[in-house]
Amino acid sequence: MNLNEELKKIIVKDLFLEDITWDQIEDDAPLFGEGLGLDSLDAVELVVIVQKHFNVEIKDMDEGRVAFQSINSLASFIRERQRS
Amino acid sequence: MNRSAPAAITGIGCLSAAGMSLKENMVSLFAGKRCAAPPERFTSSHPLHYPVFEILKDPSPGNNPENKDILRTCRLGLSAVNEALLDAGLGPEDLTRLRVGVCMGTTVGSTMTDEEFYRNFRGGMRPGMTMIERFLKSNPASVIAREFNLKGPCQTVVNACSSGTDAIGIGASWIRSGMCDMVIAGGADELCRVTYNGFISLMITDDSPCRPFDRDRKGLNLGEGAGILILESDRILRDREKPARAFVLGYGSACDGYHLTAPSPEGKGLKNALTDALLESGKTAGDIAFINAHGTATRDNDRTEAMVLAEMLPDVPFFSTKGYTGHALGAAGAIEAAFTVACLESGMIPSNAGFASLDPELGVSPVYENTRISRNVAVSDSLAFGGHNAALVLGLERV
Amino acid sequence: MRIHINGIGVVGGFGSGVKALLTCLEMGLPPLKVHDTGYGPAFLADTSPLEAFVRKKSLRRIDHFSQMAILGAHLALQDGGMPSMAAKRTGLIICSGYGASRTTFSFLDSVINDGDACASPTSFSNSVHNAAAGHLSILLKLGGPSLTVSQFEMSVPSALLSARQWLQEGRVDHVLFGAVDEYCDVVGYCWRSFFGEDDHCVMSPLSQDRESAIPGEGSVFFLLSKEKADTSKYGSVVDVRMGRLDGASVLSSEQTTFILGADGHKGCDRLYADFMPPGAESACYSPLYGSLPIGPAFDMAIAALCIREEKMFASPESVADQGKYNIIRKALPLTPGSITCLKVAKDYEFGIITVTTG
Repeated sequence: MNLNEELKKIIVKDLFLEDITWDQIEDDAPLFGEGLGLDSLDAVELVVIVQKHFNVEIKDMDEGRVAFQSINSLASFIRERQRS
Repeated sequence: MNRSAPAAITGIGCLSAAGMSLKENMVSLFAGKRCAAPPERFTSSHPLHYPVFEILKDPSPGNNPENKDILRTCRLGLSAVNEALLDAGLGPEDLTRLRVGVCMGTTVGSTMTDEEFYRNFRGGMRPGMTMIERFLKSNPASVIAREFNLKGPCQTVVNACSSGTDAIGIGASWIRSGMCDMVIAGGADELCRVTYNGFISLMITDDSPCRPFDRDRKGLNLGEGAGILILESDRILRDREKPARAFVLGYGSACDGYHLTAPSPEGKGLKNALTDALLESGKTAGDIAFINAHGTATRDNDRTEAMVLAEMLPDVPFFSTKGYTGHALGAAGAIEAAFTVACLESGMIPSNAGFASLDPELGVSPVYENTRISRNVAVSDSLAFGGHNAALVLGLERV
Repeated sequence: MRIHINGIGVVGGFGSGVKALLTCLEMGLPPLKVHDTGYGPAFLADTSPLEAFVRKKSLRRIDHFSQMAILGAHLALQDGGMPSMAAKRTGLIICSGYGASRTTFSFLDSVINDGDACASPTSFSNSVHNAAAGHLSILLKLGGPSLTVSQFEMSVPSALLSARQWLQEGRVDHVLFGAVDEYCDVVGYCWRSFFGEDDHCVMSPLSQDRESAIPGEGSVFFLLSKEKADTSKYGSVVDVRMGRLDGASVLSSEQTTFILGADGHKGCDRLYADFMPPGAESACYSPLYGSLPIGPAFDMAIAALCIREEKMFASPESVADQGKYNIIRKALPLTPGSITCLKVAKDYEFGIITVTTG
């Protein structure tokens, strides 16, 4: 399972997304606002999810804003942090 | 809304990290003394240490045998009640012959937070019931009623961060309606790992001492403590020939209906709560000496609150005292009501500890040095999780 | 002052909606579904009927406790004919004995499982006592005052005092008043520890020699108003009191029938005799909804139903009594139209709610 797929499955499960399946999430679609419609509470939950599943820390929402733009940006953020 | 009669305040008790009595607290506030530090009574595995405003002394349990083993929140509450009763010149015999109600705000005080018990339960170790029994005996309002053998109404308000403000507003209404001769009203809350970890997880805490309304504010610091006001009916006041220290002139409460953890950006609920409180008090913006703001130092709270205050009460000085006490959750509104009365009495308001730079997005600054005030009415407001907002109008005179 | 009951919504082990409760009352049967939780039996509530009122997407992140509250509230509004109520002139009051306990413990799970840095902010936010009120105010677009109260067994009478206060002061025209309590494994474990492991499935309140309480969960919501709705036949609340018994009697049997909140905890059940006027007609219905701190709300709903149906329903057969009380064993026409619900907790704490016709 590649990282994008893993992230999509985790997000659907841990954020209780009832009306969408993981394979319906596009790699480039915005996660917040229009796209998946996540909000500020989901954002902080996502920080915990990333810490728990990938042991990568997101220090504040400035970092979070960049990482959470899409599945692609989140995957690349995690890969970069895991490398260092 | 009907114009309502004021409820007299005859005694006040208050403890926080800034002091173990109202007097001690006010000395710290006017001296600009802050004592934020990493928690001592519990540990956490967070890589960063988030400062808290902790009361290092351990308050005593009650004298009633049933109050010997009660949660720390209740012991904080009892300590403030004892101070308030002394201040009001009331002894236990005075309380038993009157209809005395108790209305207390709390958050931690009504939550089963004992991690050790739960760990053992999860691990199949069949923990004993001591902690559960302690919890069941520790409803903050019931503890006070039991301590002083009170038989009036009892209510523990769990409206998150506005509980203390709400409890005082509700207590005042019990006096006005004639349901009670006297009400012990306020709030109490203790620091604990649950709220510490919870607020950190929401990413609204600061890893340095908090900066309410400051341009560079990063979030709140938790605190603990208790605030108590003794409210009395006019009839009892006359019988006792006791002067009131101040009066609850108005109370307003309203919800945003917007989001579970963030305030409405337009501050809809806060505007309605302030409007109702002022209407009930018969006062207008021009009568208000100052606003003791909620000012938690989170980006969202301070932005919304500053905007509403600037719109509804422009030119009225405001400040947050959470730079001295931390955010004491269910106790905050009650501690701040106590501070508000003390400031009116002394004709002085303290600086907003933690503020250094104007935030252009807010466009207004809190008071940043001890400042003389001349009017004798003030507002204290609170914004809570769940989008709940509450405000009190407090004054030194009845009208 | 009369507080008119213009709508009722109930959720419990018996199902949801006033009709389901009425069926139970008429048949005198305990709830059909008794769940074996691993800590003994419990009456659990099913919130799937919520889908008729709220899109599943909007219920994302909303826990079982809040879902029971939201369902109860919608049922009450539906029962009241969906009256138009100005957002600012409608207050919201929710009371609970234990709060959202499952979520409180799932927050602790997140910390224990994965460390402090992995504490779940969603669980934390939902575990805060007034989360249900927050969710409801968002879904129903309410803008009036909101209050959440936690007073164990006295939560309902205590919170009702504030509802009456708000209406009396003209702070609001309506109060959406609710009571919610949920079952969780910790509650089940504690009950076994306190009361033993007798896995009976029927409660016998007022029995002097055995613990027979079965934990329940659910929500009860009322639409309370200053004015009586044309369609409402539930009557109104005319008296709410709470305190501690201290010698002098607090009840008179003049012109009223009683509903006793005894729920199978023998230590508290035995205290009712010290309150009851001799020979007073009384009923007990807790076997239909279980034992939970907000039991008085179910009794108040049943009282309102009795007023509407103009009869006192027979108490379930399993209500013990043993000759100390004048328990209503078969349905009686309701004269006078006045019912006093009494809840007694340890140390003689009491709460009284009186509902009458009109």
